[in-house]
Amino acid sequence: MSKTSTISPKSIKDISKSSDQLAHVDLKDLPPLPPPYDDMEKLPGFKALSEEAREKFDASLDDTLVVSHPKPATPEEEERLVKGFFSGLEKLFTKENNWTFLEPLTMSMEHCAKCQTCATDCPVFTMSGENEVYRPTYRAEVMRRLYFKHVKKGTKVFNSFQNGGIDGNWTTISRLMELAYRCTLCRRCAQSCPIGVDNGLITHELRKLFSMEMGISPKELHEKGTVQQLKVGSSTGMNPVAIKDNVDFIDEDMTDRTGIKVETKWDVEGADILLIHNAGEFLAWPENPGAFALMLEAAGVSWTLSSDLVAYDGVNYGLFYDDAQLARVAARHLEVAKKLKVKKIVMGECGHEHKALGVIADRVFNNSIPRESAMTLMEEIVFSGKLSLDPSKNDFPVTLHDPCNITRAMGIVEPQRRVLRHIAPQFREMEPHGTRNYCCGGGSGFAIMSGHNFADWRMHISGRMKMKQILEAFGDTDLYSDEVKKYICAPCSNCKGQIRDLLDFYGAKTTSGIYYGGLVELIVNAMTDLSEPFLDWDMM
Amino acid sequence: MASFEYNGKAVDVDEDGFIEDPSVWNEELAKALAEIEGVTEMSDDHWKIVHYLRDYYKQFGIAPMVRKLCKETDTPLKRIYELYPSGPAKGACKVAGLPKPTGCV
Repeated sequence: MSKTSTISPKSIKDISKSSDQLAHVDLKDLPPLPPPYDDMEKLPGFKALSEEAREKFDASLDDTLVVSHPKPATPEEEERLVKGFFSGLEKLFTKENNWTFLEPLTMSMEHCAKCQTCATDCPVFTMSGENEVYRPTYRAEVMRRLYFKHVKKGTKVFNSFQNGGIDGNWTTISRLMELAYRCTLCRRCAQSCPIGVDNGLITHELRKLFSMEMGISPKELHEKGTVQQLKVGSSTGMNPVAIKDNVDFIDEDMTDRTGIKVETKWDVEGADILLIHNAGEFLAWPENPGAFALMLEAAGVSWTLSSDLVAYDGVNYGLFYDDAQLARVAARHLEVAKKLKVKKIVMGECGHEHKALGVIADRVFNNSIPRESAMTLMEEIVFSGKLSLDPSKNDFPVTLHDPCNITRAMGIVEPQRRVLRHIAPQFREMEPHGTRNYCCGGGSGFAIMSGHNFADWRMHISGRMKMKQILEAFGDTDLYSDEVKKYICAPCSNCKGQIRDLLDFYGAKTTSGIYYGGLVELIVNAMTDLSEPFLDWDMM
Repeated sequence: MASFEYNGKAVDVDEDGFIEDPSVWNEELAKALAEIEGVTEMSDDHWKIVHYLRDYYKQFGIAPMVRKLCKETDTPLKRIYELYPSGPAKGACKVAGLPKPTGCV
């Protein structure tokens, strides 16, 4: 029997036992990356969590912190938190409180066969050197035992024998709280489960419990995320004046660089398409919305952006942690689309926007406004013959990163590939890819979290598999040289943030000439109307 | 909340060293923050970036996009990294007393 095939009941129970740290990752236990990134000594290390942070926050899970919840100051406060958790746990299993996910959650609670097929498919678990607490069934099993003991009740003898034996104390609960943020919700485990148990969903429901019942969530997702988006207009903090100022600059910059007049359309009533970008694009990757404007104009598409609060930001972090926040943001997107009387919404190059708007918000939208992926729109434009394209302009090695929410969650696999095969002569796949892809390691909002030393966890552990895949995809080139520029096409803002951090952390741009960007930039780079290359490697 | 001490005064900073309240910023504080960022001497070029960032922040409530910063201060990105080794967002914005960027940026 292999090392990953059994689970020690002792280690599950350990979550309740008080200790400074339940788990620790030693860098020398991590599977090595391909050369020249195989020498751990030459890579940045993993900074220790400060004593101050360990003193102040509930940090007894592992080497890092995401939620950063202050330790309860009094026994009364601790008791209140424990009660809050169990009240929330019960609500997760009632139809009136959780009609959205009750059924798959209950099925996942009651039917895991502990076969561990999921474990070998989990990039966090495998690339952590198989650390027990990161095993996809670990947090699920803790949750399951609490469910059987406190929610399902009944058959007491059976439960204490089979499912019980776990103490629902604050040590357990505070560790579960952090552990809910050591999984990127990529749901590769759910895909591999022979009976359809969804450990990703269990993680998601745990996050929901902490946010919706106890008001506990990472500030990047809530306070600076959905709350800021609903109040100011965008999770980036851009108000409608700032977004217009930025887009004016982008239009001007695009026009200067390409010699083609670029003018973004705002609030056009009755336009065919309301395009909603992840607003992070305007600030961090302005070439992306700029290239969209250029491509849509060149193809004669009737389109518009909205300058209404929330509607110029496709972000909906509620997807990662809170159903009510998700619905509030989605309702705003719908309201503006109706106000503008557009034929459909097109979701820009953002994975979680795809899933939130395209799938989960279905019941908010109730079929009133169709939503389309930018992937199919780009495919349609590229093969319509409306653009004059010269693939030789993209004659450098290109690989594709599949955002989990677009490919695995929604099955949008081929459109972006058909485009790349057509416009990028040196396109090569990562292995595995498509619906069997690996997460970038920044999924479920991790890419925007860097507090304390969490960035080191993302770089060494959750992003390790992606880094390996990237290097392997360019394995036919000289990775000791930056002479040949290589391009990772990552059509998702969150994934781009994570990949940028990975390339910086490992020094892969300077060592191996590996760059990254979106899909639309490659399309525009191939346009014959542009006399100069659109891609500006010096700014990438 | 952590705190950062300079000239005998303490200011609140977040876990990454960004000051919590942009209104407490002054040039003395900027020099002290710059030292943490590996900038021992604030030259005119350093100040030009910091003043641009602060003016933009006062007007729009956020940091400008990097390309705009480069264009309007006439400073190539490479030069910004020379001035502020942690880069425009993590380095220059921190010295300018802007809050840490949020959202998918």
